[in-house]
Amino acid sequence: MSVAAPILVHLLAHRRAKPMPFPTLRFIPPTRLAAIRRRALEDVLLLVVRAGILTAAVAALAGPLLLTPARRASWNNRVVRAIVTTPGTQVSDAGAFRSQRFEANSIPEAIHRAVAWLESSPPARHEVIIAAPLTIGSITDRDLAAVPAAIGIRFERTGTVPPARTIEGRRIMSPTGTRRRILTLDHGETSVREASDTASAAWPIDVVSRPESRHFVDAAIAAALSERVWEPPSDRRVEFVVVSDEDGATSPSPDIQPIRSPWMADALAAIARDAELQAEASHTTSGLAGRFARAPWRPIVRTSGGQPIASAAASSQSPQRLVIVVPAAATRHLVTPLLLRSLANSLAPVTDAAADEIVPIPETRLRAWARQAGPPAVPKADTIDRDDRRWLWAIALLLIAAESWLRRPRRATSDAIQAEEATRVA
Amino acid sequence: MLSACPPEILTRIADLELVARIIVEGLVSGLHRSPFHGYSAEFSQYRHYQPGDDLKYVDWKLVARTDRVYTKQFRETTNMAAGLVIDTSASMAFGSKLRYSTIVAAALAYVISRQGDAIGLMASADGREVFRPARAGRPHLSRVLGALSALTAHGDWNAREAIGRAAQRLKRRGMLIVLSDFYDNDDTIFAELRRASRIGHEIIMFQLMSREELEFPYSCDLEFADLETGQKVTVNADIAGPAYKDAIAAFWNGVARAPHPKGFSTRSSRPTRRPSVLCGVS
Repeated sequence: MSVAAPILVHLLAHRRAKPMPFPTLRFIPPTRLAAIRRRALEDVLLLVVRAGILTAAVAALAGPLLLTPARRASWNNRVVRAIVTTPGTQVSDAGAFRSQRFEANSIPEAIHRAVAWLESSPPARHEVIIAAPLTIGSITDRDLAAVPAAIGIRFERTGTVPPARTIEGRRIMSPTGTRRRILTLDHGETSVREASDTASAAWPIDVVSRPESRHFVDAAIAAALSERVWEPPSDRRVEFVVVSDEDGATSPSPDIQPIRSPWMADALAAIARDAELQAEASHTTSGLAGRFARAPWRPIVRTSGGQPIASAAASSQSPQRLVIVVPAAATRHLVTPLLLRSLANSLAPVTDAAADEIVPIPETRLRAWARQAGPPAVPKADTIDRDDRRWLWAIALLLIAAESWLRRPRRATSDAIQAEEATRVA
Repeated sequence: MLSACPPEILTRIADLELVARIIVEGLVSGLHRSPFHGYSAEFSQYRHYQPGDDLKYVDWKLVARTDRVYTKQFRETTNMAAGLVIDTSASMAFGSKLRYSTIVAAALAYVISRQGDAIGLMASADGREVFRPARAGRPHLSRVLGALSALTAHGDWNAREAIGRAAQRLKRRGMLIVLSDFYDNDDTIFAELRRASRIGHEIIMFQLMSREELEFPYSCDLEFADLETGQKVTVNADIAGPAYKDAIAAFWNGVARAPHPKGFSTRSSRPTRRPSVLCGVS
């Protein structure tokens, strides 16, 4: 378009004769005109050369890239390498067309930066080398899934895995107070020891009941503690409401709302999976009034007749407080201490000590993750390290030389005329 | 007109008096006598010879008679007035015709004034008449040269009126020097010049044309615009060239060789070099 436009304008523009002031028209005879009406191109060769100069220059400015098989092969023969390491690790990058180190304590974060760098690198086979102790947990499937399929992955195990490590386990609430659990992880073998903790955790369940039911509940609590329950987070509290038979139907309900908190839902699910509790509940006949079987209450333990023995809801006043309602008659049965034990254990989050173990990722796993770098795809314009504009500039220069050579006769004629004019005298 | 100074340098000198002087000095040095006749001197008296007097003014007859050397003294009298009539129409703006015309007129004025004769000027500038009566003397020469320097080519030229008025204003028989390309109404001009000749004036016509006017060195389609009338005509110069050259040559020869009455000094000159302005003296 940029080449055709000036040519079209030149042809379509009305060609007017050059004006020439003259002293008198007396002696100038009228004649027919020669080339004004014709649209013929003159000196086509010169026009072609000039159009070629313009075309080459415009194409050169665009920075074109010809994807020839030879160029693809040259890209395929070179490797751009991103080396992901932990601090202090030395890795050789010999043979790489271009390489860059990415150090970080977090391998996934370094992988993310390495991938971003590779995507802005010149076209070549791209690969990521992960050089680290490669212990379980340092890299996961999810981290490697973020690496595009065309980028190769290689692993190099560097450094040493520490022989053993000790971590703090979960805390336990017992009749004698809170105890600490200390886990020692040593090449796949885990050993545990307990020690008393000076800081005692508070019992997470607050009881609300009539005095005549209170001692039954306290006995149930003592029975649950004797089983040693896990210490829950301090922000998880339970309100254990004992409803008497007299006011079960008429007493105002606590200010409650449906359960929406995940930990509350997890706790109720754990209680529902407690087979011992559910079995004992089936032997119980007395349950709660009908209204505790309806929303927002959720029955969590039922009698053999389907009547709820215990129902749960969330407190409206304290959103992190779980409300459990049980009938007073149930406090005399085994179901209450079992419920309290299950409730206390379900409040504590479950941890997996195995995830803290320092175990090298098995070689089979690493081999499954590793892959070869794919062939270079069509590169982005801003990643090309060398395009073909230099050839186009060379062509433009050659055409300029040709154009000068073609204009040579005209210039000689013009110079002769100017020399003639200079010799004229007044 | 010849001069020792190259013409391309002369045209660049703005001082017309200097240009005129250079031309005239170069001309006079090559001649044995003034080309303009009419100068005369009247015997006034004798005085005793003094060392340094020019021996050609010694009256040898008186020496023979009296054995004493006496030198004649003369009183110069001006017995000629010359009027310059310059065509300042727009056609004279083509090339450097007007400039050349003023240089020629300045040189002529310088020669005439140097001889002690009177010189005057009739022309126009910016549509206004420029008239200097014929007078002798250096101060008047400067005024004439100053008026020549201020001339511009503009509009058309009423040749008949200009020549007629110039001829009338020459109070005694003299010389009328007309510098023009004579494009404007030839018959009218010649009729007026003949009338001036009948009065008793001597007529000298300078026809000035540029090389482009004579040789028409153009090609391709051109839109020619008349400098005086503004009319335009578009022709193919390659085709029009030969016919134009024939016509202009006939016109040139027509002016140079037309039969004129006594009192017209006619002389035609063809350029042997290739000056930009060709001057034919009629």
